[in-house]
Parts: sequence; C-alpha cells; structure tokens
Amino acid sequence: MTDTPTPAPEADVQDFADMSAALTGFLSSVLKPQLDPVGLARTYYEFALSQVGAQMSTLLTAYRAIKTQPPQTIADTLLETSSATPSAQALLCQSIVAMWYLGAWYIPGNQGGFGFPPTPLQVISSEAYTNGLVWKVMQSHPMGFSPFTFGYWSQVPGPLSSFGVNTGNGGGQ
Amino acid sequence: MRRLIIIIAAALLVTARAQAPQPPPIVLSPTIPGDAKITATTVSIDAFQPDFDVYSWNTFIALNWPPGPNGNGDPKQTIGQNGDNDTVWEHYRDVRDVFLPGGKKPSWNGPPQPVPPQCKSLYKPGMRLLSQVGKTPTVLTDSSQPFNTGPIIDQNGIYTRFEILLNKTMFDYILNNSLYSKAGQKVFTPPVKFTCGVLATSGSPGVEGAIMVKSAWKVIDPSEKPTFHSEDVLVYSPASQNPKYAASCSAKTMGLVGLHIAHKTQNASQWLWSTFEHVDNVPTDADVKSGKLKTKYNYYNPACTAANCPPNQIPPRPWNPTKVSSFHSQVVRMNLFNLPIYKASADARNADAWKLLATVNPQSVWLNYELISTMWPTNPSGKCGAAPGDPLGTPAPTFLANTTLETYLQRTPPQPNVSSQCIECHNNATMTVPVASDFTYVLQRAQ
Repeated sequence: MTDTPTPAPEADVQDFADMSAALTGFLSSVLKPQLDPVGLARTYYEFALSQVGAQMSTLLTAYRAIKTQPPQTIADTLLETSSATPSAQALLCQSIVAMWYLGAWYIPGNQGGFGFPPTPLQVISSEAYTNGLVWKVMQSHPMGFSPFTFGYWSQVPGPLSSFGVNTGNGGGQ
Repeated sequence: MRRLIIIIAAALLVTARAQAPQPPPIVLSPTIPGDAKITATTVSIDAFQPDFDVYSWNTFIALNWPPGPNGNGDPKQTIGQNGDNDTVWEHYRDVRDVFLPGGKKPSWNGPPQPVPPQCKSLYKPGMRLLSQVGKTPTVLTDSSQPFNTGPIIDQNGIYTRFEILLNKTMFDYILNNSLYSKAGQKVFTPPVKFTCGVLATSGSPGVEGAIMVKSAWKVIDPSEKPTFHSEDVLVYSPASQNPKYAASCSAKTMGLVGLHIAHKTQNASQWLWSTFEHVDNVPTDADVKSGKLKTKYNYYNPACTAANCPPNQIPPRPWNPTKVSSFHSQVVRMNLFNLPIYKASADARNADAWKLLATVNPQSVWLNYELISTMWPTNPSGKCGAAPGDPLGTPAPTFLANTTLETYLQRTPPQPNVSSQCIECHNNATMTVPVASDFTYVLQRAQ
C-alpha cells in the first residue's frame, strides 16, 4: 500500500500561481482560472515541491514579501535580472518559468553544453505540453495538437491579450 | 477572456440569488432548455458541473418526451407514463434524409429515402431504418484508420447500430444555406455558424439551438422490452466488397443503449455535449477491479477473465455485420476524469432523475438510462462565439467517452488526440470543401 501525498494547501498554490504570473508575463487568472478543469498550477507547484522541497517554501516566502509590487518588479527581483551570478533561488525561478512555458522540468542551474540548451528532466504531462505558454506567446499551437479550426493558418491570429498574456502590466513585452 | 467568464458568473450569481426560491433542478417538462442555467453560488468546477448535468437531464427528458402531432413534446402526456413511448428526437431528420443522392434539396416533412429493395417485403409505413455500424461511417468506418476504431459487438455476437438525427433548427440552417449538397457547400461563404440556443427568461421563451442526436442500438429479445427504450426497425446492411457480402435486411426489435446529445448554445459555441447510456452496458474499471459486478451486461461477460477476454479490444477483421460474430466485445468504462466531481455529480443527478421519473411510472424504461457526464466550455467567451486565443473554451471534463460510441477511445491515462474528447475532436470537422463546419461532421455527407 502506498501513501497518498497530502495535497498542497490551496493558499500556497494560489501564491505560486500569482508569483508565476509575474515571472511569466501572463495573467494569474490564466495560469489558475477559477474554472480550472486542468489544474496545471497545482500540478506544477506540487511537482516543483517534490523536486526542490523546502527551497520552494523559501521562494514563496520571498514572493509574499513583495507580492504587492508591480509584476515586472517582482520578476526582476526574484529572477535577479541585474545579477550576473544568479542565486539558487533565482535559478529555481528560471526553472519555474521554463516549466510554465515548455511544460517540462529543468533542474535548476543545469546548464547545457557546447551551445546546446539543457535537457529537461521530464515533460510533466501531455496536458503540460499542449498548454505550454510558449504556444500562446507564438499565437500558435504545439506540434500534433491544435485547438484551432481548419484553415486557421490563413487568418491573422487573435491579439496576444486573447491568449492570456498580460499586455497591460509588465508582461507581453 | 477569463475576466469575462468571471463577470458572467458573477452576474449569474447575482441573478441566482435574486431568484428565490430556486425551481426544482430536474423537471418533468417537454421544453428543451435553450442553454444551461447556472445556479451555482461559487465559481468552481465543483459548483458548476451539477448545473450542466441538470441541463443534460432536462434535455434528455424533453427529447424523450412523447411527441404531439407537430413533433414537439406533447404537454398532455408525460415521459414514461406507459412504460415506454415514442420520442421527440426520433422525429428529427435522419442525416440519410438530409444529404440526398445528387445533392437534391431535402425537406423537413418530406418522405424518407426509398426503402432498399432488400427491405421492401418487411417494410411497414413509419418503420425506421438502421444501417450504420460505425458512429460516423464516412469518418470512423469507411476511413477508420486515423482513429483506429471499429464496430462494437454485443454479448450475443450482434453488431450494434447507430444513427444521427438533426433537429429542425440545424436542418433549417443547412437548408437555408444550401449546405445539403457539395455544390452548395462549394459556393458557401464561411464561416459555418449554426444557431445558438438561448435560455428562456421570464420575458422570453428562449431559443432552441442546433441539436445533433447520435444514438446506439442493440438487438434485444422481446422479453427485454421492459428495460429498454425499444423500436421495431429494419436493420439494413449495404453490400460490401471487403469483406465481400451482399446487401441484406431484417426486421429487429432494437433497444437504445447509447445517446449523445450535442446542443449549440449562447454560452457554449463549442456546443454542450451530454452523453447517456443504458445502465447495464458495461462495468467500470473500478467495478472490475473490486469484483463488484452485475450478473449480466450488454457488452461485458463477467464470467470471462481479463486474460481470456481483454477489455476494449477492437474486433478482429473481417467485420461482417450480416453474420453473428464469435467475437463479443468485452467493454469496460475507463475513468477518464481527472476530478471526482464529474462522476459524483452525474451519480447524484441520476439518482434525482430516477426518483422523479419513478413518480410517473415505476416501470418507466427511462429509469434504465444514466448520464455519464456533460462536457462544457469553461472559457466560452459567450454571445455564441469563442475566444480567439482559446477556441476550444478549455472544456470540462477534459475527456469524456460513451462506451457504445467511443468504445476504443478510452485510453488511460487520457491523452490529447487519443482519448475521447468531444469538443477537441469535433473542432477538426470540415465540410466536403476545406472549410471548418462548426463542430459537426455531418456536412461531409453532402453529395
């Protein structure tokens, strides 16, 4: 018999989604909508927690201390964009951004070599892949799965804002 | 776009609170709801799903209501009052009578297509003809490779049959835009945009949107009639070259085993997808694992082990619906749901509906049908349109299958493009010309 993991507290998942919104440039209501049949925010938070443990709690504490700041300020602070040698916490934030955009987990700080990007530890799920934010920023879709109707390629895609990009407050730049 | 649904939900919430007391959630009424009515007092899947399942049951009751002379539900009668009854949806137009040879113009009240020669000696006026052995023959049977699907064969070795019918709203759109023929489709100016249903309010009777009904039927013994909605029909199998068999026809008593209802509505331009099944069709995967099995199912033999009868296997070829097959489909309902609310809500609404139907007649055949779930767009945009960045509307549940209609699309864990997903799959539909057809494959049948 295996133990069922205890679900993460909803407040932590919400803070993780709000922090992720600032980090990714998307709206929190897109990353964790009220009507959420997919539940990626919880999936991602619990996955990251399983990978880095207490470091995740420390990161959320750091976020909570600045959560009232504008999204761009939060992103710059947590990602340490002005630093040439980002801390372990900033590297974790990079992995969280990559997780949302690519649906895959990259070990924080793991560098690729010889000009190649690092290899992800794993793609988190098929839905993580199809819901990657990279497709929304591209106003497109992943290979092998399209939410658009036949012939969409002949039409101008909808604006970035219709894909959930926070074009008005620090994102979509 | 997310803000929009929050605004809509908030508005609905205010409306719901203002309208006290609430009407009974599931009602015995011949009126088809124009849309789902949101009574939830919080915004969450757990809170909203029951409202969509209530919508599905109200639609099921209205569509299975005894019809009056005009084909609409007769308010002087009640569903199941005599045990079984003729139904509204069975007076909709069969796609066979909409997409006519040569692209001929159809009519709503016109005669059905001529009975095939093999059926003539058996035909009695008013008899229906069932011929399909795949859900959508031109897509899933004749060109089945992309979906890798096949027929479903009952525990007596008999092939299950299917039909697709359209309501007058949908028929009229096809007629008025000449989409019943290839020639008409060729000159049509896109997009295809079927009429959306609108919920009735105190000041408006509401609108019935485009509705597609897909039904699945199995041959039953007359002694089984008390537990099925049944019809005496002609079962026709057109001639086939591979495998080679001649056309044949036989008169059979068929019992309804599956019913899909798709309704395009104002708040669901991706359509609302309700799916029902006969309660004795199959066990769930959990039933099989726990050993809590009924003694008999329509599509599962509880005496056969998983080693001897592996579940959900496509019947071996050749597929010959004119013969009794030695292969019997061993079908199990897999759990495609990622949230417990979907099954819990359907179970609760089923109990409510059965209680209500039993007040009409404890012997009602409709007590033998259960809602599996309702798929709805959580990000619908509203106003009969989709959000440009989210045309599928992020459906809930994400995956949904009817074991008689998507038997072989139940892969777990669910996968996009592989496991059954009504909205995603139908979003790929086109006409006979390369133009999207608004979530319906039926326009591909135009000649």
